[in-house]
Amino acid sequence: MLSTGNDIVSLNAIDVTRTKQPNFYSKILTPTETALHHEPRFATIPFEVFVWLLWSIKESAFKFLQRIYADILFTPVKFEVSEIQIPFGFTLPGFEAIKLTGIGFNGIQTIRSTVKFGDHILYSSSLIYQEFISTIVCGTKDFSEIHWGIKRIDSEEIAIQSAEVRAFLIDNLNDNNIIINKNPLGIPVILKDNIELRIPVSLSHHEYYIAYSFQL
Amino acid sequence: MTRQEILNELKKVISPYTTNKEMLAQINEDTDLLKDLKINSANLVDIIIDAEAKYDIEIDYDEADKMMNVGSCIDVISEKIGQKQQ
Repeated sequence: MLSTGNDIVSLNAIDVTRTKQPNFYSKILTPTETALHHEPRFATIPFEVFVWLLWSIKESAFKFLQRIYADILFTPVKFEVSEIQIPFGFTLPGFEAIKLTGIGFNGIQTIRSTVKFGDHILYSSSLIYQEFISTIVCGTKDFSEIHWGIKRIDSEEIAIQSAEVRAFLIDNLNDNNIIINKNPLGIPVILKDNIELRIPVSLSHHEYYIAYSFQL
Repeated sequence: MTRQEILNELKKVISPYTTNKEMLAQINEDTDLLKDLKINSANLVDIIIDAEAKYDIEIDYDEADKMMNVGSCIDVISEKIGQKQQ
């Protein structure tokens, strides 16, 4: 399955008190996932960050599958996250850059997991900073062909976020003859000379952060 | 409650989560929460929680995934209010 899905959650924009309430997090996490947070290896990850980490994994998986199954609906608890791998001694670093881009995640500390939806098994890599969580979901454990970018912008206006993430992606594709559009289902597509390229792309924005992923 | 009454109340529930006030003013049953009102998906759970509190109902995940447009939100809320009154 050639697809990609990404999501970014600004941790400054979340409601910490609400996130910790069972009636809230139970709509995102299954009981099995909730219990995982009690394991010692999650000790350096606050519960509210854990909840939004799993949200971003599930949302990314949904976006990955939505490209293939247009009528799929997003119900977080139907996406099961397991086999979460946290780098030893992981702590939340601060995001000191304005932007960050990469191809694959070699040499970069990410939190990895497996996410299941029905018969589908997908894989995630998440970058977590004190400011945000950025996740990409892939159909294989190999992320070496995944191009990604994260950028801090100055506006939280939806129209500006949308324009900025497109400009950021085009800049990194290094081709001014392409445009990013959405197909009738609302899924982003890359067009060159009005022809859709077979490059799956996913865009996300939340508060002051934007992100993209695509697979060549 | 009639569908129109639920819609009027739902408009207040949704309001804090959309900056598209022009579209909110023209809200109808076909309005899509994400595409039309530009609500960030991260706020969908907030809307469900606020709707639960507003109508004193409980919406579980099987119903939540239907709540993508205003009409389907009204369907779920209306059904839950009906169950509460039985």
